[in-house]
Amino acid sequence: MNNAARTFRDVLYEKPGPKTRRLIAVFTVISVLLLALMLFFAIRSFYVNNQLNPKYWYFFTKATTWQFIGKGLAGTFEAAILAGIMAFIMGFAMMLGRISKFSAVSRLTIALIEFTRGVPTLLFIYFFFLIAPTMGLKLPSLLKISLPVAISASGVVAEVLRSGVNAVPKGQREAGLCIGMTEWMTFIKIVFPQGFRYVIPALISEIVIVVKDTTYAYVVSFPDLMQNARVLISNYDAMLSVYLVTAVIYILINYILNKIASFIEKKSSSGGFYGSRNRIKKYQ
Amino acid sequence: MSISELLSQYGDMYLQALFTTWKLTFLSFLAAFIIGIIVTVMRISPIRPLRFFGELYVHIFRNIPGVALLILFVYAFPYLNLVWSYYACVLTATSLIPASFCSEYLMSGINSIDLGQIEAARALGFSFMQIINKVIIPQALRFSVLPLTNLAVATLLTTALASQVPLKPTDLTGIVSYINTHAVGGITAFAISAALYLITALVIGQVGNYIDKKVRIER
Repeated sequence: MNNAARTFRDVLYEKPGPKTRRLIAVFTVISVLLLALMLFFAIRSFYVNNQLNPKYWYFFTKATTWQFIGKGLAGTFEAAILAGIMAFIMGFAMMLGRISKFSAVSRLTIALIEFTRGVPTLLFIYFFFLIAPTMGLKLPSLLKISLPVAISASGVVAEVLRSGVNAVPKGQREAGLCIGMTEWMTFIKIVFPQGFRYVIPALISEIVIVVKDTTYAYVVSFPDLMQNARVLISNYDAMLSVYLVTAVIYILINYILNKIASFIEKKSSSGGFYGSRNRIKKYQ
Repeated sequence: MSISELLSQYGDMYLQALFTTWKLTFLSFLAAFIIGIIVTVMRISPIRPLRFFGELYVHIFRNIPGVALLILFVYAFPYLNLVWSYYACVLTATSLIPASFCSEYLMSGINSIDLGQIEAARALGFSFMQIINKVIIPQALRFSVLPLTNLAVATLLTTALASQVPLKPTDLTGIVSYINTHAVGGITAFAISAALYLITALVIGQVGNYIDKKVRIER
């Protein structure tokens, strides 16, 4: 095991002695018992309140239920992907403004970024749902959810992209300028592609936030997973089971996204995914 | 509706809404911090079931959408004979979710501590809890000031969940929908709430930066 791969966990307790081993064993047993007790009481309260009754669960074996859930998921993905694309475009533009040479532009963009980061998504949703229509701006329900979610993510995207661009060694830009590329060409062809790679994990984490924020789609009655779950509930009169399953689906989606992010992060920090990053470091 | 009209009519409500949001943010952040520390200690403990529980906690609450959790508490839990007040539901949801992020930040704070220090502490005969209390936590907290500042802002934004239940007095987001259903508040109502959120977030950021400067360990 090399030094870098060692974590504090290994250092904290390598090879415990017989006394400690016994102590750990005792605590392990106690904690297993406690967790089992918690699980028991959770299941018991389901049982006592008749929530394990098959009538609350049998419809999950029907194909139509999953078709309906799938349709809801498609709505969630539609809203999330659209919001993600819009957030990226807005974030990219804001990042350009933020690193602009004109201080007026960069100051204005800083204010804009702070605004999108300091105001809750729900408030933006209410803006497009309640206030924009009174000002004559009537959007389809897909945009009513995607646009506010995108706005609220755009500031973070801008800052993430900027941190990536800043991490690109200065020599890259200088080399580009030296061979006669314009400032813009250098940025688009050389600096940004490298900076973008550094921040792919952070961008994926931001997608998780976007997916979470699309759950507010019910506010604007856009048929996403959450909204379809409500229809299922009224069809089968099964509140607890449907909401639990819905929550688990959301958790799984975001869990997978987070896993992908940390996988890419691990790959890139060990140099396997983008070998170029390490090469750059070597020649610095 | 002009801003002076709006304030004369709804000024008191805005003040109450602001305090509701502040109170929720403060209590949630405090709870999230405490739960976050407990979960983190579980995750680094040598006891496997506790580690498993800590990781499970983080994976669940990091990935669950706030609304999904709140709806479970408000609408689904009564079927388990667990009837909580709206305020308790909101507060629980806005504490449990940031707690998972708090634990993540503390973990990365811990990971940035030099391993040699822990080895040194063990060589000096420190016990596990002593290492945690005297070596790890003081440093991890210092490294975590800026992430925790971001967490406080995130908690502030999470408390907007309160607008999804009929809370009295409502919060800064709920008041916008309240005013818009009772009068034509228009963009002014939105602007006031947004400004109050923004000011709060900026103040939290400033305080965080100040604390960070005071306690940072220069290497």
